[in-house]
Amino acid sequence: MISFVIRRLAQSAGTLLGGAVITFVMLAASPGDPAERILAAQGKESVTPTAVAALRTELGLDRPLLARLWSYLRDVLTGDLGSSWSTGRPVIDELGSRLPATLRLTVAALGLAIIASLVLGLAAAWGSGRLLDHVSRLLSMVFLVVPSFLLGVVALDLVVVRSGVGVVISDGQWGTVLLPALILAVGSAASWSRVLRASLLGARSAPFLTVSRARGTTGLRRLLVHELPNSLPPFVTIIGIEVAVLLGGAPIVESIFSWPGVGRFTVQAVGARDMPVIVGFVMISIALFVAASLIVDLVNAAIDPRLRGR
Amino acid sequence: MITSLRRPRRTIEHSMPQFGRIDQGRLGRRVLLHRGGRVGVVLAFVLFVLALVGPRFVMDPDVPDYTNKLQPPGSGHLLGTDLAGRDLLARTLAGAQTSLGAALLVMAIVTIVGLVVGVLAGSAGGVIDTVLNRLMDVVLGIPGLVLTLAMVGVLGPSFINLVVAMAATGWAGLAKLARSHTRGAGQRPDIIAARMAGAGPVRIAFGHVLPGAMSLVLVASTLRLGETVVALAGLSFLGLGAQPPTAEWGNMLSASRQTLAVAPFQVIGPGLGLMLTVLASTLIADALRDVNELRNSR
Repeated sequence: MISFVIRRLAQSAGTLLGGAVITFVMLAASPGDPAERILAAQGKESVTPTAVAALRTELGLDRPLLARLWSYLRDVLTGDLGSSWSTGRPVIDELGSRLPATLRLTVAALGLAIIASLVLGLAAAWGSGRLLDHVSRLLSMVFLVVPSFLLGVVALDLVVVRSGVGVVISDGQWGTVLLPALILAVGSAASWSRVLRASLLGARSAPFLTVSRARGTTGLRRLLVHELPNSLPPFVTIIGIEVAVLLGGAPIVESIFSWPGVGRFTVQAVGARDMPVIVGFVMISIALFVAASLIVDLVNAAIDPRLRGR
Repeated sequence: MITSLRRPRRTIEHSMPQFGRIDQGRLGRRVLLHRGGRVGVVLAFVLFVLALVGPRFVMDPDVPDYTNKLQPPGSGHLLGTDLAGRDLLARTLAGAQTSLGAALLVMAIVTIVGLVVGVLAGSAGGVIDTVLNRLMDVVLGIPGLVLTLAMVGVLGPSFINLVVAMAATGWAGLAKLARSHTRGAGQRPDIIAARMAGAGPVRIAFGHVLPGAMSLVLVASTLRLGETVVALAGLSFLGLGAQPPTAEWGNMLSASRQTLAVAPFQVIGPGLGLMLTVLASTLIADALRDVNELRNSR
């Protein structure tokens, strides 16, 4: 188990390093002179060529590419992501002050999606072939095909504007998280419940379940005690993968509900082509995604010792 | 219930069994025999036909008529009109052309890039394989929409750039698939025969292995059509893709937001278009999975 953890940690570090290299390439490839952008952001009246040249030297932009990559990697490692080209403030502060709001939204969505998919998946598997299964599968299908931004726009209009429940502009606290989190969770809940149903039905054909049935256990007991634990690894795995989907969906949902998180901030940064902020968001997403995958693998290895081998 | 711990990002490629070569005709027939698959294929066909010829039978989607703005659905305007008095049916059909056309373009690019990179990595081996494989791992290790968003930031927000950004981030999963298909190919009888007939490594890779991997990769990329359309619309919704006045489902939804309280019917066209596209794509994907499971269990 320990060697497995060490191997996985090394793998995660590799992904982070690769991500940092890719973001460096993006920074280097993006048009525009960072020095000019920063001076303009600081509100300097006249940007003189000498001031630009001085800042370029200060930022090290006149050094060879490989030397810049090296110092970039060192900066990222120490949490220095540069300054925003729009506001002039350090990216780490800009994103850091907005990250808690995004984490609240994502964690709430994750919780809602897990509960909803467990209910839908277990219901479908318990009543397989019968009405309960059909209703549950229909619900999953409906949730799966509705894009989050369509659902978000309609929900904002119906729930907030017409019924007066909730607020149009969120403060990013737990009190207003329910509706945005629900919208973010819907698609994931649908696809997870489909995975759970399939793996519950797959577990049903195992020999120990025939034995259990022969012993006269009830269907519900078999479902919860025998089938569910054996179906968990694929379910946990898909949750880990879909953390990426939640992270990618956050900018859209945050924009609709004016949620003051990093996603909405990044969308504005993309519009303004504020590269350091965009790169900062990518690095944070990679870190969260890598952490989620790591947790999932450790949970799975804890559930099923056979998975530790590789 | 053993699932591999090394999990790439997307599910569809990996829920497909590692069949050597797809018999496309047989696979197509089986999907058509599958009830959900049949519905999905018919739906997809209808959507493509509507996108292709629909715009010819309606009025100009871009001409404003300010005397007729925000008309509810009814005679004259089947889906109503928007804030500028433009016919929403016409814009929905034009939007179908934009969205589906762009999605097809993205798919074509990622299929070609994925195939070439995957086959190259798989057949070259050694350093080239290691480097390309690491690159795929890193691209797959970044949440897809996040990477696309960042690429749009590099290139600047426009619809063409969005298509390029989607292509630049979507190829890696397909390349993995092509690579895994290629790596086992050296032992296949047809490849041994080609080698004995004197074909060089390049000719074997691109003349013999690549065509076999093509059907596999093509199926996998087709399965992502719905996902691609939604991603394109989502980023256009955020103002980072198709720009007004271009009719596109995402930016139509975005434009309807300010007047939704008085004219909620505006979401019908683009909303239905998006949902039916995803539905068709999901039904076909499910059918393919079922069909393959049937074949594997025999």
